[in-house]
Amino acid sequence: MKDLSGRTAIVGAFESPRRDAPRVHPFALQMECILGALDDAGLTLKDVDGLCAASGDWAEGGGTMDVIELAEYIGIQPTYVNSTDVGGCSYILQAGQAAAAIAMGLAEVVVISYAACPRWWPLNTPSFDPFVFPAGPGQYEIPYAPTLISTYGLFARRHMDLYGTTPEQLAQVAVTFREHAAANPQARLRKPITVDDVLASPMIASPLHRLDCCVVTDGGGAVVMTSRERARDLKRRPVHLAGYGAAVARTQNSQIPDDLSTPAALSGPRAFAMAGVTPADIDVAQIYDAFTITPMLALEDLGFCGRGESGAFVADGNLSAKGGSLPTNTDGGGLSSNHPGKRGIFTLIESVRQLRGEGPGMQVPDAKVALAHGLGGTFCSAATVILTV
Amino acid sequence: MTAMTVLPIPDETSAPFWEAAREGRFLIQRCPETGRHQWYPRAHSIHAPHAKPDWVETSGRGELLTYSVIHRGNTRGDPYTCALVRLEEGVTVFSRIEGVAEEDLRAGLPLSVAFHRVDETISLPVFRPPSDAGGSDA
Repeated sequence: MKDLSGRTAIVGAFESPRRDAPRVHPFALQMECILGALDDAGLTLKDVDGLCAASGDWAEGGGTMDVIELAEYIGIQPTYVNSTDVGGCSYILQAGQAAAAIAMGLAEVVVISYAACPRWWPLNTPSFDPFVFPAGPGQYEIPYAPTLISTYGLFARRHMDLYGTTPEQLAQVAVTFREHAAANPQARLRKPITVDDVLASPMIASPLHRLDCCVVTDGGGAVVMTSRERARDLKRRPVHLAGYGAAVARTQNSQIPDDLSTPAALSGPRAFAMAGVTPADIDVAQIYDAFTITPMLALEDLGFCGRGESGAFVADGNLSAKGGSLPTNTDGGGLSSNHPGKRGIFTLIESVRQLRGEGPGMQVPDAKVALAHGLGGTFCSAATVILTV
Repeated sequence: MTAMTVLPIPDETSAPFWEAAREGRFLIQRCPETGRHQWYPRAHSIHAPHAKPDWVETSGRGELLTYSVIHRGNTRGDPYTCALVRLEEGVTVFSRIEGVAEEDLRAGLPLSVAFHRVDETISLPVFRPPSDAGGSDA
């Protein structure tokens, strides 16, 4: 697996500045992002022979064969495609698989793309995903009407009981990322907040308040990957994929492990091993933050702190781009900047921007090693990428 | 029951579970080779994949592992509590908690199963404090 390290690079990246896209079909938004990323790379659609997408969920515009629909809409006939959908981290997983495809010669220029428009999407289309479908394993859970947030609530409550984590520590995650968003003109929410503000916001699903939850935006983004050799001749400084790991675990709430470990405990070590680095080597991190508890469990599973220690770790200011040991979500993350539903693509894009020194929010000086990490569903899956310049 | 939106769709594997639920009994599965329990029910044993699991009746007793009170986001009515319950037999099930005020919810709270009769086919298990379990309408 080490053979894959450094053999490919992200050569173009683009995040749509939109946070509201009324009546814009998600495919139209994806096209804006794909062209933006290709322009950034100095490439055109004619160069693209690989397409990765996961556009079949609600407000994403596609169906079961979404990657075909998207290719048709764009107007290309890719010979390498990947529409693996493992939730929000799908695009991080796809980056690793695209790297393997490029290294083995299945593709030369791969676009990874995502957009969704939940703010205006009018259709309540039938879904067969495990969070709504009351058949098979879901027949024992869905009739009780859990919400996505309440499942994160189950994790957060148990973390408090097992490890003494407090609502104030959870709130600090939202406060820190809002400080970063304040510096990002494109962030959805930029007004600074306090721990008290988070705790005073309405309870959604205990123990999570409204400000423990991400923003809901229409948005999208795309990245372009190619081989190390071809990347040398392109206009932007290549950002190399040094490490990759992914894993899936469960969908049903009854299968949540007692110690709250998540598949990040598998994806992280694989990514670090491939890259030949340790958590201490990471200069800047982008860690999926759908809710305040989300990055906390990742910090433990990825080894940035011990099991149960994430509450103290975040409260001590380690995630702050203003002097923290692990500057995280430097653009404001999903809690404050951008979260259409599957924000894994933005962890890649902001990692690239940080390594180029062009972060739109807080820029970490001289960053050389970046970590992009995401989960899918409710800690159902995980994917980790380590990028270097 | 508040905000119950959809009914379960029973199948060949789950039929014995819903049949027992109609009689006020909560079944789980046991591996015939290893004797280990499993939840949720499957057509195979996850401990011995070629073995077909047996059904066994639980005591219906357990304790609260973790919970979330849903105030907003899916409910047209009052807040309701979704939870993980650890049964005495060692498996963890997802369910509703009823009959406990939000401020009294805590990990380790003793619970007993009760059943809501929804229609001729489905009686849905929920969990309540043992003294309150007589409130079942199964």
